[in-house]
Amino acid sequence: MSILEISKLTVRFGGLTAVNSVSLDIPTNEIVSVIGPNGAGKTTLFNAVTGIHEPTSGTIRFDGRETRRPFRTSTALTLALVGLIAALSFILIVNIEPLWDATITSNYVYQQPFPWTKALSSAVGFFSGQTGGRLLLPFLIGGILGLAGALAIWFRNRYAPEVAARAGIARTFQNIRLFNQMSALDNVLLGMDSRLQTRFWHAALRLPLFWRERRDAEQRAMEILRFVRLDSEAHQLAENLAYGHQRRLEIARALAVQPRLLLLDEPAAGMNPAEARDLMNLIHEIRDRGITVLLIEHHMPVVMGISDRIAVLDHGEKIAEGTPAEVRSNVRVVEAYLGKDHEDAAAT
Amino acid sequence: MAARPKIPFHWSFLLVAALIPLVELILPGEHHIGDLLRPIFIMALLGLGLNILTGFTGILNLGVAAFMAVGAYSYAILTCDIYPFRLGFWCATLVTVLVGLAVGFFLGLPTIRLRGDYLAIVTLAFGEIVEDVLKNLDSITKGTEGINPLPAPSVFGYQFRPETYQPWYYLFLGFLALVVLINRNLHRSRIGRAWISIREDELASSCMGINPMKAKLLAFALGAAQCSLAGALWASYLGSSGEPGNYDFQVSIIALCMVIVGGMGNIGGVLLGALVITGFNSIVLETLTDFLKAHQLISSSNVFTAPGNWKYMLYGLALILMMRFRPEGLLPSRQLKAELHHQEPPVPPAS
Amino acid sequence: MSGSQIFLQQLIIGLSNGMIIALIALGYTMVYGIIELINFAHGDLFMLGCFAGLTITGFLGLDQAEPGTSGTWFCLLLMLLLVPIFCGGLNWLVDRLAYRHLRESTKLAPLVSAIGVSFVFMNIGLLWGGVPMKVFGLGRAAAAPKAFPELVSNANLLGQSPVEFTGKDVMVLVVTLPLMLLLTWFVKRTREGKAMRAVAQDRLAAQLMGIPVDRVIGRTFLIGGALAGVASVVFAVYNNTIYFQMGYRAGIDAFTAAVLGGIGSLPGAVLGGVIIGLARAFCDQYLETRWTNVLVFAVLILVLVFRPSGLLGSRAKEKV
Repeated sequence: MSILEISKLTVRFGGLTAVNSVSLDIPTNEIVSVIGPNGAGKTTLFNAVTGIHEPTSGTIRFDGRETRRPFRTSTALTLALVGLIAALSFILIVNIEPLWDATITSNYVYQQPFPWTKALSSAVGFFSGQTGGRLLLPFLIGGILGLAGALAIWFRNRYAPEVAARAGIARTFQNIRLFNQMSALDNVLLGMDSRLQTRFWHAALRLPLFWRERRDAEQRAMEILRFVRLDSEAHQLAENLAYGHQRRLEIARALAVQPRLLLLDEPAAGMNPAEARDLMNLIHEIRDRGITVLLIEHHMPVVMGISDRIAVLDHGEKIAEGTPAEVRSNVRVVEAYLGKDHEDAAAT
Repeated sequence: MAARPKIPFHWSFLLVAALIPLVELILPGEHHIGDLLRPIFIMALLGLGLNILTGFTGILNLGVAAFMAVGAYSYAILTCDIYPFRLGFWCATLVTVLVGLAVGFFLGLPTIRLRGDYLAIVTLAFGEIVEDVLKNLDSITKGTEGINPLPAPSVFGYQFRPETYQPWYYLFLGFLALVVLINRNLHRSRIGRAWISIREDELASSCMGINPMKAKLLAFALGAAQCSLAGALWASYLGSSGEPGNYDFQVSIIALCMVIVGGMGNIGGVLLGALVITGFNSIVLETLTDFLKAHQLISSSNVFTAPGNWKYMLYGLALILMMRFRPEGLLPSRQLKAELHHQEPPVPPAS
Repeated sequence: MSGSQIFLQQLIIGLSNGMIIALIALGYTMVYGIIELINFAHGDLFMLGCFAGLTITGFLGLDQAEPGTSGTWFCLLLMLLLVPIFCGGLNWLVDRLAYRHLRESTKLAPLVSAIGVSFVFMNIGLLWGGVPMKVFGLGRAAAAPKAFPELVSNANLLGQSPVEFTGKDVMVLVVTLPLMLLLTWFVKRTREGKAMRAVAQDRLAAQLMGIPVDRVIGRTFLIGGALAGVASVVFAVYNNTIYFQMGYRAGIDAFTAAVLGGIGSLPGAVLGGVIIGLARAFCDQYLETRWTNVLVFAVLILVLVFRPSGLLGSRAKEKV
């Protein structure tokens, strides 16, 4: 059963086709690596899966569903509501001065109690006396603009990273993108934040829910830090961590999102062999927890060592796919990429 | 957690402020420093509202004066007896805060997805629009006359009077303390964390599941609500809504100066900024002007001699110099200081 | 005046003002295209150009001038020469002093700096208005609007027609159209223009190709500022009144025009400017003058909601 089905995905930026009709199925609970020379489109592929780039064509299905905001009845109702509010606001704006005059100014005697019911009937009378130009026209214009605007905004933001993240896809980045001035613990907590229930009034007034959730979240965050063996540095600023630790922190933060699919973009970059081995063990442990792992890597020992399957991209196209043994001996792959690393790869 | 100063600046500020009128009572002679400090508290509220947007979330808002105007006029309409509402101080203030929330929310809705600089211009234009609208709807807002007079607040039955400033002082200080507390609580929660992550790296933040639009919209609404509160208190303090020209671009920039000079993202920094900037504006400039007038050094025909005519330049230079030399402000939040003197993350060897 | 004559009149007014807005918008869009900074101070630069023009007029003793005399033509030409140099130079200087060091900084820092510059310029305008020259009312009311002398005649070139098309409208066209064509040629055909476009597209690549990026950026500020300078001369002569806070309004109009046309696109800025100019004229006439600013704001919001890349802009996405 495939947790991720990429089908004829094409991503084009202006004149540049970064990903060209790539199809790839990721079986659940496997470790799959995507390799290829620089510029092959690997990170773009990741970006499309995580909702950063909208596919130019093709589909991406996670658990059988596309990773974009679904248009549900509630969406339609919200959009209609926005249109309605805009329409009513327009009527109010166009008529505000005469309405105020008719309702408040003419009914109010200085410092006397105000006849509210009479004012209400004045308002009703005012509106019924209005011609279409000041009633129907603003309503239509406001309604159309409001509805169309809401639709435009909604459609333009169908693909968004937070949608993919909430569906269960998390990632790390090629150039580490930690929140440098937050502590390691805060970084991990951020990963959890989207699933917490605390609202701004709970936080502002320090209601019990706030304290409860914070305690639970901090406990779970510490667990994750223990899992990646960073618990001793929980209160260090992220930017003060050693490079290798930063990479692990990024993984911890991604795990906090509770993903079922984890995308790691060159997690072994800059690591020495010992660190790389630790990373491989970590990835195995992640997979053992039921998370499917998709990996971009150049570090051949890591790729050959942990992958169940490997896909090879070159110039935006998939040129090979298979087990490590199959890929290693594939002529096209060797030509395009593995050429000079052939000895290293064959040696592992 | 990394070592923090023993008492955060914002609490020491509030504590000292609470003691000043008492000290004045004890000292011989007539002192009215407290009187002069009241506008600073209100402007600090404005700055804190801007701080939620710019300091925490990184959204530049150049039209906070518009929210303040909305607050002032709402409060005025609700309390002045030329209109039928005639709500009491507490009721009117509450309604005004809700109005501010709504205005911030509805302004944010279409604009929150815009890039930072576009959004800044939109807020700038919005500030101008509000001023225009307030001037034009003069049958409601009384145009350049403003809505007045407004009744003084009454707390637990005690009716405030313009002559004794101490009750006003503590009322405004109380509001300030409350807002400081709420802002601090928000800052140290998932809400604040989301805001700060958006400011630092919006893309990474959204990849972790944070919905930037919702978070920014909340910042907009809460920031606007606070600025409206400042407006309501200002109207109460003046006894009038003021005129639309009082809430112009200049006020928005003063608020920005407070946040930038004091320390973006740091509540205590904003309080310090309010003290420095508003203090300069209201106290130093006025005293200097009076002094020069008394010594006949100001001539009305020579524009260069009036200190007030150099105000804009000083604020402008303050912004330019701060950005150039100390962008984190006088009292930086430890987060921002490193962010602005950003070092590139360690680069992995060529892969 | 008949309905169609009113329409025609507003068309003329709208086009003339629109071309002025377009010139300012061009400066905005050029700077934004190259360093992605909205130069908030641009509108105030325009205002300073107007004051500079008035000073020149004062020096030539033309504060009570009769339009059409030889002195006025000379003054006009002198202004069109000196004011763009002044504005361009000032803009270049501001980049050098305030923005250059913030190139690598966060997005917020240059924006805030630009606001600071805007405020400084505005103060300079206020103080300038107090200079004891006759054209400035002998410096008595520094903050008050200043009248700009009639350098070009107000006489209707269409004779007895109720529709007015004056020498001023001709001046606007004669100055702005060739300038825009010149600018287009410059950007498309010359090496300097190509360098600007290269830096706008990919600063790092341009640097690697040996293009002196900081100098190119500086020259962009120079040219953008010069355009604002031309706009200020044309505006001052056309509208006959200047005041130190006019940069604010002009800036918002020009920015709306640039966004409407597509920020970064030069033809877009012109198109946007003309549309905004026409919209203002028609709104003043057919709705109410007091809502014109609200209309421009509404246009801005509508463009940003429905078509943020503008009418002629390209939909460029950020690459991660």
